[in-house]
Amino acid sequence: MELTSTLSRDLVLQVSSKLNEPEWLRARRLEAWETFAGLPYPTTRTEEWKYTDITEVPFEELALELPTGRASAIPQAVQERLAQAQLSGYAVFVGADLVHVELPEAYRQQGVIFTSLHEAVAQHPRLVEENLFKAVNWSDLVGTQKNRPENSKIPALNAALFTHGVFLYIPKNVEFDKPIGVFKYLEGGKLSGSRTLIVGDVNSQAVYIEEYISPAKVAPSVNTSSTEIIVGNGAKVRHAHIQLLGQGFYHFHRQRAHLQRDAALNDLVVNMGATISRAEVQSEMLGPGSSSEMLGLYFTTGHEHVDHYTLQHHVADHAYSDVLYKGAAKDQSRTVYAGLIKVEQGAQKTDAYQTNRNLLLSEDARSDSVPQLEIGANDVKCSHGSSTAPVAPEELFYLMSRGLPRHMAQQILVKGHMTDVLTRIPLEPLRQYIESIIEEKVRV
Amino acid sequence: MVNQLEIRNLHAKIVDGETILNGVNLILPKGQVHAIMGPNGAGKSTLGKIIAGDPSYEITKGDILMDGESILEMEADERARNGLFLAFQYPVEVPGVSNANFLRLALQAKKGGEVNMMEFYGKLQKALQTLEWDESILTRYLNDGFSGGEKKRNEIMHMMVLEPTYAIMDETDSGLDIDALKVVAKGVNAMRGPNFGALLITHYQRLLNYIIPDAVHVMIDGRIVTSGGPELALKLEEQGYDWVKELAVTG
Repeated sequence: MELTSTLSRDLVLQVSSKLNEPEWLRARRLEAWETFAGLPYPTTRTEEWKYTDITEVPFEELALELPTGRASAIPQAVQERLAQAQLSGYAVFVGADLVHVELPEAYRQQGVIFTSLHEAVAQHPRLVEENLFKAVNWSDLVGTQKNRPENSKIPALNAALFTHGVFLYIPKNVEFDKPIGVFKYLEGGKLSGSRTLIVGDVNSQAVYIEEYISPAKVAPSVNTSSTEIIVGNGAKVRHAHIQLLGQGFYHFHRQRAHLQRDAALNDLVVNMGATISRAEVQSEMLGPGSSSEMLGLYFTTGHEHVDHYTLQHHVADHAYSDVLYKGAAKDQSRTVYAGLIKVEQGAQKTDAYQTNRNLLLSEDARSDSVPQLEIGANDVKCSHGSSTAPVAPEELFYLMSRGLPRHMAQQILVKGHMTDVLTRIPLEPLRQYIESIIEEKVRV
Repeated sequence: MVNQLEIRNLHAKIVDGETILNGVNLILPKGQVHAIMGPNGAGKSTLGKIIAGDPSYEITKGDILMDGESILEMEADERARNGLFLAFQYPVEVPGVSNANFLRLALQAKKGGEVNMMEFYGKLQKALQTLEWDESILTRYLNDGFSGGEKKRNEIMHMMVLEPTYAIMDETDSGLDIDALKVVAKGVNAMRGPNFGALLITHYQRLLNYIIPDAVHVMIDGRIVTSGGPELALKLEEQGYDWVKELAVTG
């Protein structure tokens, strides 16, 4: 079946029908489409997009990337990752096609579900319907975004036209600590959209890593991703979003976690690729005693532009959240960080921290940082801080005076700058991989 | 080939700032240890940093020659790979890289290739033994959280492992108690030999009781105003710097 390439309501219907979706999902897609169609794109006049100009992004000029049904081999780049990552289960997407999925039998027997989102829609309809679009949709903006509906534009596009995704469900009391990995290999030149839905039931425990990989240079490409993480009472989820897309990619990610009573999320976002990338990472502390650690690492070179937005939304009392985002910028690249701690009226005894630190490796690199607090309760502990500074010349001189060439000295300083985030990643293979990316990027 | 480090009529200033060196002349022959003494603000530390290639200073006149070749056009790393070493007065703390890993990288850079691990650990062990130190210092992040004394001792360990031809020690003795001072001196004395020259920058004669220099130079207002043997250090200790300051004015 040939599909229209221009974005339209018809295209939404065609996608839904091609994917054999039930009526409820088609209806939600259409709602999302109406929202998308009715909103302007965010511009630099939109407060949350002040430092990120997306006028050059060809949202509506690319063909939508659809599943082709092909049986592709696992790309070399993904095979290398699989060899290093020490995963338990894994899934590999090439474009919108799921080409491989594997879950240890022991997990399956305990009731763990790890499939493509569309298989889950067919096999576990109630579980999916109950949770899909619960945490990330096209209408429930929080914090500073609330007053500017255009913040829903891209998530609405994703909801209306996503073509593939992953569903992970961990049943009550089931725990595993070896990560499940999902690799999304994108060849570029298309408009791609995917969703991830993770549901950790009561007292469960899971580790999930999602990586975006592409060739180093691609034709202009847009990728949108939405990740919803539902963490039940007493459950623990460790989640990582690793973006290493090539030049030419425009990547827009929104994720939001719902944390119930005593739930814990350990989140990590790594943005080290793409021409422009933006990650919005939000945690909603809905249950008392919940906690959210949110780590971020980014390193830009050339003309890359990376933008992060974090939200720590304290709805319940006695919850804890800690944002630590650290990055470095080289050449003419730019980084942006904006974050909000929002404490609702009833959220007494909130413990919330937010730190962003940036290291500049060249005179033309630039970092903008906007930490914000909005506190509605009176018995809370909150702090925020940000800093942006060039590499200290005396530090560079010290390392070079031992014989290390400039790029190696810089690499050591970048790693040193990021050490307190790196040491908080307990997954050794993942940490080593991130360190190797930093080394590679400093050298270029 | 001339086996010496030569500072020839060196004038230098802080980039966009004040002049610090006003024509320094000094020759350090390979195989010798010289001390540079002088009051605060004389330009001693600056001289050390300039020799090592600190880009925050600008050389306005003169030259620095290592074994007859000018090193002015070389960046700090290239000078180091050619055999120069500066033990810093204030070593920088660098989290994220262990002391041993950093040293291995530095040694690799110097040798231009992989370093034999057995040989590397052999060197580390020997240095630790001389410096009366245990291995725990190797796995800690480079200088991170080190005490003042540990940092100084670590600089000497780096020197012993990297085996430079010419080493400059910038007030390595300051802030050390007498036991630490003896250990540091042991490290420097272990390096002494026909293929090693050292320049000790110091305020105090104390260090020179343990490292007997072949020559002592006195620096005032950015120039060497007088030179002599080890007895010059003792004279300075007894009489202070006033008499040399007069030399500087009349000289």
